Amino acid sequence: MSILQLDNLSKRYGGTTALRGLSLQVEAGSVYGLLGPNGSGKTTTLGLALGVLRADGGEVRWFGQPISSQSKRRVGALLETPNFFPYLSARQNLLLAADVKRAAPATVDAALDLAGLTARQHDAFRGFSLGMKQRLALASTLLGSPDVLVLDEPTNGLDPQGIAEVRELIQRLAAQGKTIIIASHLLDEIEKVCTHVAVLQRGELRAAGPVSSILAATDRVLLRLDADIAPATLLHALGQLPWVTEVRPETGGGHSAVLAPGHTPAELNRALFASGVVLAGLEMRQRSLEAQFLELTK
Amino acid sequence: MLRAELRKILPYRTVWVILLLYVLLLAGFVAVGGSVTVNGQQFGDTLYAFPALWSRLAYVASYFNLLLGILLIILITDEFQFRTFRQQVIDGRSVAGLVQGKLAVSGLLALYGVLAVLGVGLFFGFTRSPDTVGRAAETVGAVLLYGVQALGYLAVAALVGFLLRKSGLAFLAFLLYAWILEPLLRLTTPDDIDRYFPVKIFDSLTPTPGQELLNTVTGPSSALLPTEAAPLALVYIALFWALSYLVLRNRDL
Repeated sequence: MSILQLDNLSKRYGGTTALRGLSLQVEAGSVYGLLGPNGSGKTTTLGLALGVLRADGGEVRWFGQPISSQSKRRVGALLETPNFFPYLSARQNLLLAADVKRAAPATVDAALDLAGLTARQHDAFRGFSLGMKQRLALASTLLGSPDVLVLDEPTNGLDPQGIAEVRELIQRLAAQGKTIIIASHLLDEIEKVCTHVAVLQRGELRAAGPVSSILAATDRVLLRLDADIAPATLLHALGQLPWVTEVRPETGGGHSAVLAPGHTPAELNRALFASGVVLAGLEMRQRSLEAQFLELTK
Repeated sequence: MLRAELRKILPYRTVWVILLLYVLLLAGFVAVGGSVTVNGQQFGDTLYAFPALWSRLAYVASYFNLLLGILLIILITDEFQFRTFRQQVIDGRSVAGLVQGKLAVSGLLALYGVLAVLGVGLFFGFTRSPDTVGRAAETVGAVLLYGVQALGYLAVAALVGFLLRKSGLAFLAFLLYAWILEPLLRLTTPDDIDRYFPVKIFDSLTPTPGQELLNTVTGPSSALLPTEAAPLALVYIALFWALSYLVLRNRDL
């Protein structure tokens, strides 16, 4: 089932187009990463999806229905910054959020525990560090045990240990079957936790799909020859294969190339052997999401 | 909904300070009123005699509506500043729900104003003019009309808060409109039209004490009678809250 469907969404701020005809679909149970450089439209996309920004065109559907108070209560979301009343304590803020979400006030204790703020629950929010504020906001998104979590830069302000904790939390929640939509510019984080990814640039969708397919599309094959075989022999043999492209020397020795979809490294090995080229080494080099991201947003 | 609003308000020190200030200023003003001398004669305890006390008090309290209005502006613009309107919409509240929450708060503030006037009136009536207390119920309706007036000023304050979002700007616009802009507009507008201006309508609910006497000197006032102004005031109040909703609905949060 489609949890979230964005259809041809557009948004302008004055003369600037922040989002241009964006269509996306998030399936149940996926961990969906929204990637893009600063100003690419990630937060605008989430703001439109969460109903706090007015779209200039297009449609948002949650659980197959137009957005409503009922659909929103099935979604826990953190957008941009932790938004709380500074003069209220952590506990008072969560009790208020629980009221709005119609979650049982008893769930506040578990949320405070999860945020590691039980000891400081009666302190005013204004006195918290950025990391504590972020943890409180994350805990607030979990009130009422929503089916879906929308997290905009959830590791902002957290130390390395906090970042690891958030990653574990996301993985644990995903394992429980929750759908998670996460916007980040931290590619490493996305690569570690996401099943699907969409890449935005200047308000347009550049690529979307399962992380494996986005990455696999440009995996490179690294080919190494024995020292006594001239590289020209390899280059000549590769030149005969129309499904091998982007051949280039590698800095550590050997050459790398990209195979057209549907062709495997074994097939390449067989074809080269048939041409009389014996490889000393052949390995798939999976491209990092970072490299792929930079390629897509060039 | 009201519970959520109370969770925001009750621990907020600013709210208590302004509410306390309101009642202290009102009581203080009324307390010194008796010692005011006009034409060599002190008002004395006759000022606190029922049934005229209620309309006098309502008139005095009308000046402190601005305090209640400023408090509501703080409560509304805070939510823009803290981005808590945005978070509440994310968490499942509708835009109509946000406006209804503040409407409920304005109702509470007006109720507080009415209770404060009643409390101050009963205190001074009992202590300074106890022999007239038997007539206290005769004109207590003036306090209810004051309550409608407070709701009116609060509706203007809410609209300004929702429209401008920033507290400083909203205070300025609220005070300028109520004290300067509308009075200036009224000066350039014929009397039979200007009495229908919103602040004029609200002010008509608590007429100046002794207005009848003034009328004999300056000619009849163009203002509506309080009972004529009350239904129009309620229409303005509904209109301002509806406009607040439209402003919030058609903007990004």
